[in-house]
Amino acid sequence: MRKLALSLALLGMFGTPALADEEAERQAHWAELREAVFGDRAAVAAADLIALEAPKRALDAALVPITVTTKPGSDVTGLTVVIDDNPGPVAAKVSYGPRGDASLLTLRVRVNQYTYMHAVAETSDGALHETAQFVKAAGGCSAPVGAGEAESLAQIGRMKLRLSGEVAAGQPVDAQVLIRHPNFNGMQMDQLTRLYTPMRYVQQVEITLNDERVLSMENDISLATDPAIGFRFVPRAEDLPGKLKVVVRDSDDAVFEQSFDVPASGS
Amino acid sequence: MQAWFFSSPPTWGRVRRGKPRLVVRQSSLAPSTPAPQLGGFLATFATIALLLLIPLCIARAQAQETVPEPAGFWTGPMGGPVPATIAGGRVIETAGLAALIEEKQPVLVDVGPLPHKPETIAAEEWVPPPHRTIPGSVWLPGAGDGKLTPKLDDWYRSWLEQLTGGDPSKPLVVFCHPDCWGSWNAAKRAILYGYSNVHWYEEGIEGWQDAGHETRVVQPELPPR
Repeated sequence: MRKLALSLALLGMFGTPALADEEAERQAHWAELREAVFGDRAAVAAADLIALEAPKRALDAALVPITVTTKPGSDVTGLTVVIDDNPGPVAAKVSYGPRGDASLLTLRVRVNQYTYMHAVAETSDGALHETAQFVKAAGGCSAPVGAGEAESLAQIGRMKLRLSGEVAAGQPVDAQVLIRHPNFNGMQMDQLTRLYTPMRYVQQVEITLNDERVLSMENDISLATDPAIGFRFVPRAEDLPGKLKVVVRDSDDAVFEQSFDVPASGS
Repeated sequence: MQAWFFSSPPTWGRVRRGKPRLVVRQSSLAPSTPAPQLGGFLATFATIALLLLIPLCIARAQAQETVPEPAGFWTGPMGGPVPATIAGGRVIETAGLAALIEEKQPVLVDVGPLPHKPETIAAEEWVPPPHRTIPGSVWLPGAGDGKLTPKLDDWYRSWLEQLTGGDPSKPLVVFCHPDCWGSWNAAKRAILYGYSNVHWYEEGIEGWQDAGHETRVVQPELPPR
């Protein structure tokens, strides 16, 4: 009982000392990662400019949906998603072109262990704005290869595009591209053969509208099987109807390319 | 390579993978010897009743995601439903573990696997993610494998000897992740080495964190090659 009273007194004085240590350890890890990715540029925590939405507890650690939003009109030129405790923590580094719109980015990622995730926006003035979310999911990076990946390999490089809402000049259009790719991260064991499936993952995605850049994205091994990328683009009047082209390059240097019609609808 | 290819159409957005599920073997659930003194009718009745019960048992076992204890060590896939018990030792839950740590300073052994470095990433480029564990734990990756070479067995045995100061009654806690056979195997091994106070913490590091407890980053004690 005396012990308990003492602990409570200590808690009162110092907060939760133990958890504070863990938090300090996690923050120090993030500081190292940020320096590795952005050098010594300081970032400002700016929840009003950027927001990261991820399940606090994910049902399937190999398929965790995340959404990054930035305030429309805030002149964001790039978005980076980092999963702090993942091997290959930089899940996506996106830079936007003239037809791009950084107000929405959705991805599906693998999560190795309970971790912070960070989303960092870079604005045209060179400033960095970051936000974080703690995600409880574990085992996503070593989740065994199953029939799903076999299907994806058989269909590798096939793509689908979904456009939602109306397509009008000058208005951001919501789009999602689904890319068939097993996205093997080299850490997944085949439960039957007990062998590790060699790494082969999507490294780069380029999306253009009538040959003008919407976005280009670089990835490490943290994207889930069958990458699904939600994004926005802004067509001009002369772009409609037009062609949205997606070019995917993987770590085996295989290139997959597909064009989709963007009809002029509504208005 | 041929085995990889399937002709089924794409199924976008389907959640297709959870934790691996093991088949619960019927033979291990049905009693091995029928009651000998039952008459023909009763025997038939009992058989029917048993047959009816078997699927119920299976359903129940699956719902609880537990399987019977294997005779020796588990040599199948490491992830999957695990037993609810460990003969010769005891299963400890998070609250019990927190109390045990507070009161008895047990030896804490984390047998979580080393993350596998993808072959095509150069060793000097590979930055393994931080390994977070229960404070005070020693991380002995590989100690929970289904089969240990004599060299590895010696390695694990001498680690336990060192950590317990040679006291076979010293409380010992073995863990890794939930639904992971590694900790069951390593705890079983400790029991067979002769430790009398072995606790298997099945909930693992995720269970520990779920209860709001702290973790600490540790480096592995690498097994001999």
